[in-house]
Amino acid sequence: MITITIDGKKISFERPVTILDAARAAGIHIPTLCHHDILKPYGGCRLCLVEVEKVPKLQTACSQYVSDGMVVRTETEKVVDARRAVLEFLLINHPLDCPHCDKAGECELQDLAAKYGPAMGRFAEGKRRYPENLEDPLIVRNRERCILCLRCVRMCDDVQGASALSVTGRGSKSYIEPFSGGAYDCEYCGNCLAVCPVGAITSRTHRHGFRPWLMEKEVETVCSYCGVGCSLVLQVRNNSVVRSVPRSGLGLNRGLLCSKGRFGYDCLNYGDRLDAPLMRRNGVLERVTWTEAINCIADRMKEIKRENGSDAIAGIVSGRCTNEDAYVFQKFFRGAIGTNNIDSVAGMAYGPAQRFFEKILVQGVTANPIQGISDSDGIFVIGGDPTAINPVLGLQVRSASKKGVPVIVVGHPGGLKRYSKRAFIMNSAAETVFLAALVDEIKRRRPLPGERPVLEEIINGFRPAPLEDASKMSGFGPNDLVDTAHALSNMSRPSIIIGRDIVQTDTGHMNLLFLAALTYLLNGRIYLLSELPNEQGVLDMGCQPDMLPSGRPLTVETFRKRCEETLGIIIPPAPGLSYAEMTEAAHEGRIKALYVMGEDMVLGLPDSNYVRGALRNIEFLVVQDRFFTETAKYADVVLPALSWAEKEGSYTNLERRIQLTRKAVEGESIEEWKVISEISKTFGLHMGYRSAADIFSEIARVSQIYRELTLEGIADGKSVWPYRGGPLRYDMHTEGTKLPDIVSVMEESGMSGVHVRREAHLFHSQNASRYSPALLSITPEPHLKIGDILADRLSVKDGDRVKVSTDAGSIVLSARRDPCLPDNVVLASTFDGGGIFEITKWRVNPITKAPASDVNGVVIDKEEAITVLHKDRADSLVGG
Amino acid sequence: MALDNKILDEINELKRKYEDERSCLLPALYLFQREYGWLSPEALERVAEILNIPKATVKGVSTFYAMFSHKPMGRHLIQLCTNVACMIMGGERLLDILKGRYGLEPNLTTPDRRFSLVIMECIGACDTAPAMLVDTDLHGNLTEENIIGILERYE
Repeated sequence: MITITIDGKKISFERPVTILDAARAAGIHIPTLCHHDILKPYGGCRLCLVEVEKVPKLQTACSQYVSDGMVVRTETEKVVDARRAVLEFLLINHPLDCPHCDKAGECELQDLAAKYGPAMGRFAEGKRRYPENLEDPLIVRNRERCILCLRCVRMCDDVQGASALSVTGRGSKSYIEPFSGGAYDCEYCGNCLAVCPVGAITSRTHRHGFRPWLMEKEVETVCSYCGVGCSLVLQVRNNSVVRSVPRSGLGLNRGLLCSKGRFGYDCLNYGDRLDAPLMRRNGVLERVTWTEAINCIADRMKEIKRENGSDAIAGIVSGRCTNEDAYVFQKFFRGAIGTNNIDSVAGMAYGPAQRFFEKILVQGVTANPIQGISDSDGIFVIGGDPTAINPVLGLQVRSASKKGVPVIVVGHPGGLKRYSKRAFIMNSAAETVFLAALVDEIKRRRPLPGERPVLEEIINGFRPAPLEDASKMSGFGPNDLVDTAHALSNMSRPSIIIGRDIVQTDTGHMNLLFLAALTYLLNGRIYLLSELPNEQGVLDMGCQPDMLPSGRPLTVETFRKRCEETLGIIIPPAPGLSYAEMTEAAHEGRIKALYVMGEDMVLGLPDSNYVRGALRNIEFLVVQDRFFTETAKYADVVLPALSWAEKEGSYTNLERRIQLTRKAVEGESIEEWKVISEISKTFGLHMGYRSAADIFSEIARVSQIYRELTLEGIADGKSVWPYRGGPLRYDMHTEGTKLPDIVSVMEESGMSGVHVRREAHLFHSQNASRYSPALLSITPEPHLKIGDILADRLSVKDGDRVKVSTDAGSIVLSARRDPCLPDNVVLASTFDGGGIFEITKWRVNPITKAPASDVNGVVIDKEEAITVLHKDRADSLVGG
Repeated sequence: MALDNKILDEINELKRKYEDERSCLLPALYLFQREYGWLSPEALERVAEILNIPKATVKGVSTFYAMFSHKPMGRHLIQLCTNVACMIMGGERLLDILKGRYGLEPNLTTPDRRFSLVIMECIGACDTAPAMLVDTDLHGNLTEENIIGILERYE
């Protein structure tokens, strides 16, 4: 036990803490500048100096640890004098331009100078003058205000791990700079500007438009960009969101955000929001009243149901819909329309993967706390870059890596480049063969646990490709494969992080089987990367063609009957179509009416032209969205939707944590669930909800796993799987899972030539980011990542325009050379009008029901016009 | 590119000598400066890539040290000392000679890019003051008469 005395107060600690923490525990305030709770002690600003008895010099409270019997005084004359002197030094070059500084009102230096500082400095020399740096679209740097506390650099290095900032120069000519000295080349998490205690690094999105004391309210809510579900605070003035900030200690992100969470809120204020229903009359979409729109939807859907049957109608929800909207949507489709044709973007990878793992392992197997990643003793990443798809989860991987935990990546390492031991980039068929070889090698090194005989039968029974062939196909040496298997075998509680791209291939089902085997053999914890905030939620709400709310298969009669009794509806016994199958059916004319809530199908599905064709074939298309998306252009009725900040509801994140999203501003529309219950009324199904809480309480009644939860009850963000209800018990069977046939994968893959793979982009998710001017300003156009060898062969330089063609079409992208990539794989991201989905064909994987889109034999040409231009210039140079 | 390959070989040699790649940073920067005469942003990026160190960190380190130049230099670098011993022995008068003969002023480069001049605060050659370094060669006991003769040996 350590007992110390601070300002006369005696206080004891079990373990040594810093004097600063000790003082806080005793309720004593010590001023700080370079100290920040997220960062390690630094001792740079000298403002926290305190007097320690028997120590001749003043000590920095933030970095000095207490010892037994220590006597500390925090506000003696000597201390106050020292603080005043430190502040006087800090203000030598500070411009004192508070009236037009964005930080004024929440500036730590301003507050401290007011409290301790001299009114006037004694330095007669002039101040340094530097113009503000406005070269970056989002982040403004002001060198005059900087006090070199290095919070930003430490944040960028130690916490974010992007290492995009450093101190350049020396002494009085030290500046905080990104590499270019102007614009940033970074992840734009903005955590540097969040920790800056002064106005040296500020955001351009609310430049000169933000005064902390003018904020009318602050609303705690959950970010709506990805499946992590970071907590954030929306600051509101004049019914518009002026800034989104994290709060240290709040939520699972603990004070951190990514680019989308910090800057992407401006899509809320995007000018072209839909604000009234539109209806197609004589081929033109015209503004109509809500009553007209709802009547039209009711009439047309009834007509189609009468003429073509219920199964000619289908519904798609976005992974951005709240649980309440999604729940009401599926209830309407099952109970009023009478079809199970309901799916969401989660049905394209996240859902099938989860279902597979739950079936073969146990329900809830993918529900693992994100914070657990940094405590694991090994990390295996496949199918997507966590630092781009779920950035705050990605930080956990980096933090583990810094502790020496081995990180192995199959696929492009992206933001894990400096944090992974090995990265194996190859085409999709090779990945399956590679995984099979890994499982085979690991099972020789690790005994089978004997818990799941059926899975063990598969692990023992399948025949992998010979090691030589597998290594040849993957492009890596047999030793690389064996070493990786060896490294994996040494892990006792690894995190297995799985992205969407491993599911959306012809061999997706095999990949899932091998990953289940890997998880089983290594005692791993699965994390499914989720690109939208509520993929898990829409699955749990039953927006799946074969599952009722809470993941109960509707083909099991007892489940279906119980659900029917609770809700007073009749649920058709046959499963419906998946998202991909619906699109196919629409293309073939089997789906006559489609209701799309919040999803831009043209952007969300591969092969955009095929999707456009499918949408054109639909007799009656309803689109409910915030924006006039490309999908909306084909609609017969367009309904305006509310954004997540304009309504109450809940999201369930990828670790199955249910969190409350609160209303921050008033929107110019009606909640989606209200609109759907109005339509439902015309079908004779009265829902009678008055609020989101009403719907939630019904969900808690219907769903075993949500039992006893209430919307108010989840407000603390601590409702984590398995909640209070406990997981569902029913026979998880593995029969019918066939032995994967690796030999035929190798023979039939046809994987010669260049393979284009999807790059999930850090600055863009699905459609919402396309309406954020801030995010568009940092990445306004898609690009193609191309390896050095291939680029040299095609004489392609950074920034050259290249034409990428497949049998589905071609797109022109700007090239970016990437030294990580082999010569047979290139990467392209999704983007409206010109992304990878324009050139990607797909077919439904019969087992996962997800679209499989392997794109081989891609032809890449340097754009003609540019080549000619270069040639002309070269000729003129030679001629001259 | 050929030059890069040569440096690459030397850096790989360095990597064998040090425990981690970060330790190779200063020697690697020296190599690039030796070959190119200065550290261009491209050179810094190259070092970052070869050593797998963030490029901002590389810039932070290289700009901390005065011996790295971040702007193009002449083919030969004259580091002339004007500290106490050299000053007393007439070092400052040598500046006028350099200006008169080559038009060379401190921190600048001759238009033909032959020489760059940097004023040093003691190069540890006080016993032979006034003294200068030309590239890595030390020349002491300089006079207004012999300095041009020495410099003319550097093309």
